[in-house]
Amino acid sequence: MHLIDCPWCGPRDEAEFAYRGDATVTRPAPDAGIDAFYDYVFTRANPRGWHVEWWHHAAGCRQHVKVVRHTMTHAIAATGRATDILEVPAA
Amino acid sequence: MSAPEPAVPAPRSPLAGVATTGRYGAAGGTPLAIAEIPAAIVQLAARRGRAGDLARAVSGAFGLDLPPPGRAASARGIDAIWIQPDAWLLLAPRGAEGALAAEVKRAAGDAGSVVDQSHGKTLMSLAGAAARRVMAKGCRLDLDAPAFGPGRAAVTQIAQIGCVVHQRDAIPTYGLVVPSSLAIPFFEWLTSSAAEFGYEVG
Ligand SMILES: [Zn+2]
Repeated sequence: MHLIDCPWCGPRDEAEFAYRGDATVTRPAPDAGIDAFYDYVFTRANPRGWHVEWWHHAAGCRQHVKVVRHTMTHAIAATGRATDILEVPAA
Repeated sequence: MSAPEPAVPAPRSPLAGVATTGRYGAAGGTPLAIAEIPAAIVQLAARRGRAGDLARAVSGAFGLDLPPPGRAASARGIDAIWIQPDAWLLLAPRGAEGALAAEVKRAAGDAGSVVDQSHGKTLMSLAGAAARRVMAKGCRLDLDAPAFGPGRAAVTQIAQIGCVVHQRDAIPTYGLVVPSSLAIPFFEWLTSSAAEFGYEVG
């Protein structure tokens, strides 16, 4: 069982969450052009290592939780609210 | 000129004809108690930046302190259960159609949004010494102390069904709120899980 520590609900089973992708991308300005929007929607780094991502607590408090997860080991280094800046381990 | 409010029929039990009174499952010993509880159920959410105003309004009108995450509170026959940031479920014994929602809306004013869920959701209860063992068959929460206990509540999923779990006392008694449309499959999960201990539907 993979536990994700929701900032509101506490540790909950992964089955209660929906993965919502990379939490580091930011929406370009409206006039940034088609290439910037293409990158915003489609281009992802797919790293082997620590990744900051969104997990939606769909079956719980329905909030988007920010999670620092290792893509190879699934270890979770930190979780937080959407506006939190989370520390990402060096390696 | 506004049209008159159309008459709304009282909620029917989604378990009518399914939850039949009687004793079932293993014989001997004290059976678990399972019941559907007719309740008025209202969802209350604070408008942006108005959580403090809403808490004061609800406290003033009902003597009820809206609880923090993971908790429930009770006063004057109303239970409040935290369900998400700045939002709660309020439950009371079923009275006149729409009465609780109207009362809560009157108290909340423009500090909160009120949705009557009395038709959309239904309340069941499970009580007995073995209740925690029944819950463990489908509930992923840690229901043992100190993680959970009387006055604690959580929104989770049981048997793939979204469920609000509220521990009411030390017996333990659990209040379980599920969508009415899924009340029958939930009741079937509950009774088949309770069968090995014996249960009484009241
Ligand atoms: Zn949560």
